[in-house]
Amino acid sequence: MNTREDISQALRAALPIMLGYVAIGIPCGILCDSIGLNAFQAFLLSYLFYSGAGQFMIPNMWLMGAPLASIIASVSFVNTRQVLYSASLAPYAERASKPLAFLFAYSVTDESYGVNIARFREGEWSVKRATMVNLFSCTSWAVSNAVGVVLGSYLGIPLAIASFAMTSIFICLAATQNLTAENVVAMVFAAAGVFACKLLGLGGVAVLLGAVAGVAAAFAFGSVRAKRAKREA
Amino acid sequence: MGWMDFWIVLVCCTLTIAACRVIPLFLLKGRTLPDGVHRALELIPPAAFAALVANDLLTPGMFDAGLWPAAAPLVAALLVIVVARLTKSLLWCAVAGVAVYALLLML
Repeated sequence: MNTREDISQALRAALPIMLGYVAIGIPCGILCDSIGLNAFQAFLLSYLFYSGAGQFMIPNMWLMGAPLASIIASVSFVNTRQVLYSASLAPYAERASKPLAFLFAYSVTDESYGVNIARFREGEWSVKRATMVNLFSCTSWAVSNAVGVVLGSYLGIPLAIASFAMTSIFICLAATQNLTAENVVAMVFAAAGVFACKLLGLGGVAVLLGAVAGVAAAFAFGSVRAKRAKREA
Repeated sequence: MGWMDFWIVLVCCTLTIAACRVIPLFLLKGRTLPDGVHRALELIPPAAFAALVANDLLTPGMFDAGLWPAAAPLVAALLVIVVARLTKSLLWCAVAGVAVYALLLML
């Protein structure tokens, strides 16, 4: 396997993600500009932290006046889903060297996970190529964010419209979940929990508490159902 | 957001996400997660994304000043759900959502 072939295969796999990140990264940069971050800060955040959902949450929560601790806790909680991706990629990284496995694991996102796991399952895919997909995607994301910051300070794109790009992505990620009974319970309780928090004036921790309420309700619901199924069996 | 706040957010959020991304891959070589932990983890994405959507779309008293334009994001959201179920594409959802929302605000 030569490197040139690896690069061309990885680029082909990464291209749809890279284009998507341009479309999402520019509005994200515009939002970052609105809370006073400069292009370098947006670029740094995009390369090191590298989380679309997280990078939209930070300016949104900051604009709503949420305290720093609440922003960090909410963003971190939402990003715990990465544990699942990491766990499911573990078997494919068994033979990779430690530094490569680290870089590979560190640079996974929702989108690149989806693309890489499909190719790993088909075979004919390596950790080297998968890591390249991650890094190409990350570069597109970071550059788009920096461009968004620069555009944001020149164009007067209304914030509500720029941030609706991320709302749309959250809707897509929620609507494409498997609609099992447990998942529906999780979603309904999470949304209700967010609304309840806002009613109580706890807007700053609404996402965190709402999501925890959703997980807890669905977990309890699933346990009760499993117990009942066992009794009937 | 000043530089100090920026560094705090950057370092803390990067450390937590890096831990979530890297540790399971190294710990789990050849092993599987306990059943209960796996179930709870699987519930996080639907709960977290629904919470994020609700946080963006729902505010107590949002209709106090009248049904429109407060309902515009809800109408756009319904359309994005349709696009999501049909295409499963983040890109198309973002493009459709922004375009429809911008059009609705012009009405």
